[in-house]
Amino acid sequence: MNCKTARVLMSAAVDGELTGKEEEGLRLHLSQCSDCRMEYEEAKKTKMIVKEKIVRFKAPQSLVDSIMDLSFTSEKEEQNTLVSE
Amino acid sequence: MTRTDPTRQSSPEQKKNTLSAEEQKKQSEFQQEAVVHLNALYNYALHLTMNPDDANDLVQETYLKAYKFFSSFERGTNCKAWLFKILKNNYINRFRKNSREPGKVDYDLIKDFYHTIKDTRRDSSETETDYFHTLLHEEVYTALQSLPEEFREVIQLCDIEGFTYEEIANMVESPIGTVRSRLYRGRKLLREQLEGYAKKFGFNTETGR
Ligand SMILES: [Zn+2]
Repeated sequence: MNCKTARVLMSAAVDGELTGKEEEGLRLHLSQCSDCRMEYEEAKKTKMIVKEKIVRFKAPQSLVDSIMDLSFTSEKEEQNTLVSE
Repeated sequence: MTRTDPTRQSSPEQKKNTLSAEEQKKQSEFQQEAVVHLNALYNYALHLTMNPDDANDLVQETYLKAYKFFSSFERGTNCKAWLFKILKNNYINRFRKNSREPGKVDYDLIKDFYHTIKDTRRDSSETETDYFHTLLHEEVYTALQSLPEEFREVIQLCDIEGFTYEEIANMVESPIGTVRSRLYRGRKLLREQLEGYAKKFGFNTETGR
């Protein structure tokens, strides 16, 4: 495997989506090529950055409530209130 | 939490839509399988619409539809993926006509959106990695949003939501190989952007520090 192929495979490798054969080939290449090893670390970091730096918002309570209501809709038609706390 | 109001019990034959045992089972299953993904869906909707009100509507619509067609959900498969697919379809039907032109990114809009929403409803579960430590959330967000939609979408679904390639392929209605190459190309673009930000802080991205 050459460096070019290895770099294309890295993206799927960080997702654990390579076939067994591809993985084997990549691993072999990485064991022999320090540039690609470094590049592979970068690829893993990029994924991690997206995962960790993108702020997750909480759904507003009003939305949560209305979704909870929703799954009781048929019941609710007969009732004014859904929850007693 | 109780579901029945003891003061107003309805007898089963009273109304056509009074709960049967089957319906009750469906409801509790729906709660367990579908409602637990509410936050993820809301975030996805926000990313798509960039507008909290639209995101709200979209999520509501999605759950309404999901509940209605819950019997068609294949048990044992990923319910989150199923919901995302429904939301995506709703989005296409409702919003896409008026959405921004592909390739044209309104950075101010993104920033405004980010700032309005950031302080009010931020999820507290957040960790720091040493690398790219100085990258701001906003920068990563802007970088991601600036990618062409076909790339942004798969990165979002893969890295943020943790879907498999097969699930993503199904959601975006493209072959797995396409998903794979979009991820590859999208990440390449994203990295260029992020490295631009990192360099601004004097990072040497070759070595990580
Ligand atoms: Zn190499």
